[in-house]
Amino acid sequence: MYVLKKNALALACAILMGGVVITAQAANWTMLQGTEPAGNAPRIKVWGFIQPLYEKDTSKKNKYVGTPGNNFEMVAPKLLGPNFETQEGFNIRRARLGARGTGLPLDSNVNYFFLAEFGNNILTHDVGSAVRLTDASITLNHIPGARVRMGVFKVPTFEEGYQAIHVFDYINFTDVAQQMMMERYPNKQWTPNRNNTPGFANTDGDNETPFNGFNKPVGAFRDTGIQIFDSFMFGSWDTSYAAMYGNGNGVNLGDNDKNKDIYLYLSTEWVFGGKGPRRQGWKFFVWGQDGKRTLYNPNTPRAGGPGTDNEPGGRQEYNRKRYGIGTKFNNGLFRVTTEYLKGKGMIFLGPDNPTFTQTAPNGAGGCVAGNTDLPCPLLADGRDGESAGYYIDLGWYIPKTSWELDVRYDFYDRLTDAEKLAGPCAFNFEFKTLTVGTNYHLNKKSRITVNAAKRNYEAVECPDAGPGGNPNNNLEGVDMRYSVQLTHIF
Amino acid sequence: MYRLLTGTIVTLTMAMVLSTSPALATAGINSAEKKIVLQISDGSPKKQTLVLNVAKNLIKHYGIDNVKVEIVAFGPGLRLLFKDNVNSSRVQSLSTYGVQFSACQNTTRAMTKILGYKPELNEAAVPVKAGVARIIELTEKGYTLVRP
Repeated sequence: MYVLKKNALALACAILMGGVVITAQAANWTMLQGTEPAGNAPRIKVWGFIQPLYEKDTSKKNKYVGTPGNNFEMVAPKLLGPNFETQEGFNIRRARLGARGTGLPLDSNVNYFFLAEFGNNILTHDVGSAVRLTDASITLNHIPGARVRMGVFKVPTFEEGYQAIHVFDYINFTDVAQQMMMERYPNKQWTPNRNNTPGFANTDGDNETPFNGFNKPVGAFRDTGIQIFDSFMFGSWDTSYAAMYGNGNGVNLGDNDKNKDIYLYLSTEWVFGGKGPRRQGWKFFVWGQDGKRTLYNPNTPRAGGPGTDNEPGGRQEYNRKRYGIGTKFNNGLFRVTTEYLKGKGMIFLGPDNPTFTQTAPNGAGGCVAGNTDLPCPLLADGRDGESAGYYIDLGWYIPKTSWELDVRYDFYDRLTDAEKLAGPCAFNFEFKTLTVGTNYHLNKKSRITVNAAKRNYEAVECPDAGPGGNPNNNLEGVDMRYSVQLTHIF
Repeated sequence: MYRLLTGTIVTLTMAMVLSTSPALATAGINSAEKKIVLQISDGSPKKQTLVLNVAKNLIKHYGIDNVKVEIVAFGPGLRLLFKDNVNSSRVQSLSTYGVQFSACQNTTRAMTKILGYKPELNEAAVPVKAGVARIIELTEKGYTLVRP
């Protein structure tokens, strides 16, 4: 027996302390989404998930609507996206179907990942297709320490966006994720896909408040390109890196300009136990991405027409940089996550014009709806703007029950460098949201999520709500949002 | 990491189980009372886990000196004995407790033709000429065949 014990301990010590660098197997987001377990993966594993949602928003209308400068009863945060037509209702937020595996199970050196979205969200709503391919990639694992993944897939990025959405503990993203990280792609000519004149008929012929002038799906934290990555175990520490080179055009698959984006990611995690998406450990990560976006200004058309290269003229390029740092602790009982994110350039200013600027209301100063430069007075400019945000998330998995309690505070400071361009004030907005929620896990694959979000939005350098044109008139009534979502993974 | 943790946990658990097992009272007596051959010919990841769990549980139940367990892998099931298999640490750990892992050479040759190179097998794998023939041989010697 002594010999047995001695052997067992010796083996355990050899594994733990041998100093051998072992490649991790599907133990973090980079590996979970990009690789399959060696010698173990099936030819095809069909999988997916469905997330039906009920939401109710209790925000109030702009009480000054109808007076000069107050054109809209409701702004986007008061209505339920992606339709922006109601404050209460059901939606199929996500319905995704995919397949993954290794085409030749004998060869673990090649694997694939495929996923498509059938739900109603800003990947599919009013952007030309009710079904959207979100992931289609092939990974080559031939080179130790440098796996290669090519296709469209999640870029290595901040934790909230990088994690698998079907294990996300909340229903809605933080504001910094939804606004700063979730990239919007305007059409080249900057023209509105919907006229933003109050009362003007929208593309679908009704007379509702016009929002969402974008006609392409959002980036969904994805890009098409090539990534080098891998993960290594040093004792209990799982350290990963990823470097990606991509189009910078989200899930639009093809490229829209000659510029490419670069994404870098580094993480290290002290692993406590478990496996897969809910592995327990303490992770630290840092990431960054850098690219350029091309826009064409219709107010400065190219002399003599588009030319042989079909460029309409007015070509302008803007930097788009994002970077951040964060940590996540999860010991199976408590969870703490916090991230700080910063963005420079291409700051999304809300679904008003299909651009990254905000102009004076239609008619003011000779402005024509949708135009972004002269003669429209420019109130805010996100094209070269800067923003920052953070959040802290706490979770408690109540022992011996199926309940999980969650609370999250998030803060987004939009256009931190805003200066008075025109109008009454600078358009520096602060978005503060406190979300409390619970998850009841019916089983390992099914859960009910309930969230209540208290939102406090304010244009900090503008006067308080009152008579006259003022962004705070629109934001004053933003109030609670209640959400109930079912998740079933299959 | 999973492989590492699993291997460590299995090893330590078995060490603890064995240290308290009544079967140890008979330690030193090598006449096994039970003889089981486990067949894995399926490529399913769940089957891989299952067959290893069954082997572990048999040892736990009967005690290491009272049971002989041999896992015969052939066809798609041979993937369990690939060197880079995610369960390789479990395979090695079980082999230290007397579980024999037999790898069908016919399957290895067939896979070599498909892959263009010979697949590397776990160090714990013992080559046998034909997996099915090995099972027949073992059953004739009194082994009970179990296909989890």
